[in-house]
Amino acid sequence: MAKFDVVGHSVRRPDAYDKVTGGRGFPVNVTLPGMLHARMLRSPYAHARIRSINASAAEKLAGVKAVLTPGDVPQKKFSPLFFMPTESNELIRDLVLLSENIRYAGQPVAAVAASTPDIAEAALDLIDVDYEELTAVFDPEEAMQPGAPRISPTAANNIARTPTLSRGDLEAGFREADEIFEGTYCTQRVHTCYMEPRVCVVDSDMQGNLTVYASVQHIFGLREKLAYVLSRPESGIKVVKSPYIGGGFGSKLDLVYIEPLAALLSLKTRRPVRMEHTRYEDFITNARHPMKVYLKTGVKKDGTFTARYAKTIVDTGAYATHGPEVIMVHAVFSFFSAYRCPHQKWDGVVVYTNNMLGGAFRGYGAPQGCWAVESQIDEICHGLKMDPLEFRLKNAHHEGDAHPFLKQFTLASYRLADCINQGAERIGWKNRSRTPSGAGTKRRGIGVACHPLWVSGCVGLPDIYEHSGAIVKLNRDGTADLATATIDMGTGQNTTLCQIAAEELGIAAESVRMSYADTDTVPFDAPSHASRVTYSAGNAVKAAAGEARRRLLQVAGEMLEADAADLEVRKGIVQVKGSPDVNLTVAEVVSRAESPLVQMTAAGPKVTTIKEKGSIIGVSSMAPPGNPSPCAAEFVEVEVDTETGAVKVLRVVYAHDIGRVINPAAAQGQVEGGVQQGIGYALMEHLQFDPGTGACVTGDFLDYKMPTAVEMPAEIESIFIESDEPTGPFGAKGLSEVCLTIPAPAIANAIFNAVGVRVRDLPITPEKILAGLGKL
Amino acid sequence: MKQIVPLHINGDIHEVAIEPGATLLRVLREHLGLIGTKRGCDSGGCGCCTVHLDGKAVYSCMTFALQVAGRKITTIEGLSPDGRLNRLQDAFVEAGAVQCGYCTCGMIMAAQQLLDVTQTPTEEEIRRAIAGNLCRCTGYHKIVAAIKLASAP
Ligand code: FES
Ligand code: FES
Repeated sequence: MAKFDVVGHSVRRPDAYDKVTGGRGFPVNVTLPGMLHARMLRSPYAHARIRSINASAAEKLAGVKAVLTPGDVPQKKFSPLFFMPTESNELIRDLVLLSENIRYAGQPVAAVAASTPDIAEAALDLIDVDYEELTAVFDPEEAMQPGAPRISPTAANNIARTPTLSRGDLEAGFREADEIFEGTYCTQRVHTCYMEPRVCVVDSDMQGNLTVYASVQHIFGLREKLAYVLSRPESGIKVVKSPYIGGGFGSKLDLVYIEPLAALLSLKTRRPVRMEHTRYEDFITNARHPMKVYLKTGVKKDGTFTARYAKTIVDTGAYATHGPEVIMVHAVFSFFSAYRCPHQKWDGVVVYTNNMLGGAFRGYGAPQGCWAVESQIDEICHGLKMDPLEFRLKNAHHEGDAHPFLKQFTLASYRLADCINQGAERIGWKNRSRTPSGAGTKRRGIGVACHPLWVSGCVGLPDIYEHSGAIVKLNRDGTADLATATIDMGTGQNTTLCQIAAEELGIAAESVRMSYADTDTVPFDAPSHASRVTYSAGNAVKAAAGEARRRLLQVAGEMLEADAADLEVRKGIVQVKGSPDVNLTVAEVVSRAESPLVQMTAAGPKVTTIKEKGSIIGVSSMAPPGNPSPCAAEFVEVEVDTETGAVKVLRVVYAHDIGRVINPAAAQGQVEGGVQQGIGYALMEHLQFDPGTGACVTGDFLDYKMPTAVEMPAEIESIFIESDEPTGPFGAKGLSEVCLTIPAPAIANAIFNAVGVRVRDLPITPEKILAGLGKL
Repeated sequence: MKQIVPLHINGDIHEVAIEPGATLLRVLREHLGLIGTKRGCDSGGCGCCTVHLDGKAVYSCMTFALQVAGRKITTIEGLSPDGRLNRLQDAFVEAGAVQCGYCTCGMIMAAQQLLDVTQTPTEEEIRRAIAGNLCRCTGYHKIVAAIKLASAP
């Protein structure tokens, strides 16, 4: 008999029925009576000061209801990150809603609300802005030079932060080394490319209370930031959770301009205001930070690390926003704690430039670190003539070790070795040739990379929200409603959280429905980010369902004249343990609890008692108990065309330890999508800008190339090594982010295996391959 | 100047007052409430807005509504007129091909056209048929599987 009735099964996604027939639940579909449409005017200059703005012609255009310029909005500095408290000391607050100081091409300078989108758009042309253009700087290393244009008035040499981490004695570690390897690894700016644009509708009532609908990954974060920026009480802002949103991948973890501007326009006009990004606006709103990572690594001949040093330069763009935070996550999880090494040091530099803002993107600093570390390991193995699997196993953490960074935890479930071994078996690693081989113009190679350490939440990280909460309410027909603030952006938690509730309640997965939530009605929750929902929200849902089940059994105990402790519930039936004939359906019990003095039953009326009364409900609000690490190894086979430099990914085997798998199909979907984003990162995606003006030149999907169905390999195999995480809901850990951190270095390593060309800066274009082959 | 034109959509005739520059996408979503058709880019790059025009998959964001007056238009809402999923929609649910779902309606419209003309397409034909439809969540893996499932004899 299976251990679980619901967990571990690929139950159908309940929201899929709606999504295949029209997808009504997306925020992009929200409309309200009398709704106005707003648009933003954006600066054509990357660095400028506004001398004056004249919006009077725009205001006079028929249909225009309100115009906002910098003088009309609060000049309060803020940080837009949802997942940290606005008042956190760690955050650099340097963004204002509309400013006269322009720091990047496309920075909003004014907003218009009008009766139609076309009128709003036309009004933008009537706003007269007098700019004083200033010299811009786009390269972070130039921006750090003395004499470079000053971007932030408070940051000397445009440096926002210079964190360091250190352990042991680095110099001693390098002295112990038999060999030292050095290299610099660069990554480019890429966009998450969520398919549903950023959109919001904000309504206001006569007392100034706001109701907000938006495509975001965190309803409480949106409420908190809006309240802060607008200096309004949080209790006067209700953010409504959408049933689902059209992707996010990290990009929807910030307040962007639209929500506060729409709020101000709504307050000004007393009408609902809708604001939606164009795809160009989406592209220039936030993107993964480009990083340059220098690594110096000392190893023994047997492959043991003796010393590791890294220096990372992060281009944070025009405002600090995520830069000072992403660099820490990058350093801790993708470099400092990834492998065992006694002597380590890392230096970071976060630099302002006149580029667009950096943002969160699945992996949050890890893909950049993984790219450097896992590429260099391949180089080290080549230098030492050592098997890359053996090398990693030698330096990896082990199950039961203390958590390498969060000292209060242990790696209670950690099966990296199994990931490596099982993945190797599936890809046929032992038949791989170690050096470039084969003839002809199409060369094949196999590469590997790992993601040794990541998070399933945020516990232990000082300033990041970690709570989750849930309400589970049983219905008289034996079903349950689950309400949580957690947003499903495609990752499937509308299904997996229902499965967790169903398992705990002892009812079928289809009997639990994800129901309505807004910031007024459900407990506080951290965002859908940091691979945390299955683990953190899963624990909260399990706790709430457990409470509801306890009450269910109490009422059933009254009805059966049995002790609640002697009862169990499974498959919708409450029964006496060991005497399954003495039973009731969940529906009968819940109906009794909500009945008047007399309950009508098939067997006739039954008198109820006071003790049985009251809805059967469970509520939780809690921090999860730990921060267990998922880990993974990925193997890829590529084909490199030595004539054209084109790289084709033929096959991917991805082996993960994510604890217990709640829904295998959903987990596979995460892997497959992560592989796609990783292949894009590795081979083609690149947000590019005009070097003179700083304007984005890849602002639509014709210029920004991401993998289509034709570029994706037909063979993507997910292997889940099922460990049992003791702190996880039914043993589960997080998944999402590790799926896309590994493909880039695994592909680079496979290319090296195929043709002996080492590319250290992403994306790996055909030109770089041909240059490496000496053909350019 | 707006013009009143008849649009033949999913078997109904709608008389709509249309600005000459209005795209079919905009008219579907903003005039007719046919919100299953999605805007992902408005510039012919993503395929979220795919509908059938005389049985051929087209981007409705790149089609002027005026040009299609009187022609047969099918949107995602037209695939399940009796409220039941058609075979392809059911296969998408069954195969786990739906994640965030924002691409899904366009993807199904593109795939449906393939199935309308090719009974058992090859993997390559399937991938080509949806190459104009971007999905950022699934890696297309289960989408391809769903289309195969729907075309299985
Ligand atoms: S919205 Fe039409 S192709 Fe993207
Ligand atoms: S399912 Fe999210 S874009 Fe395709």
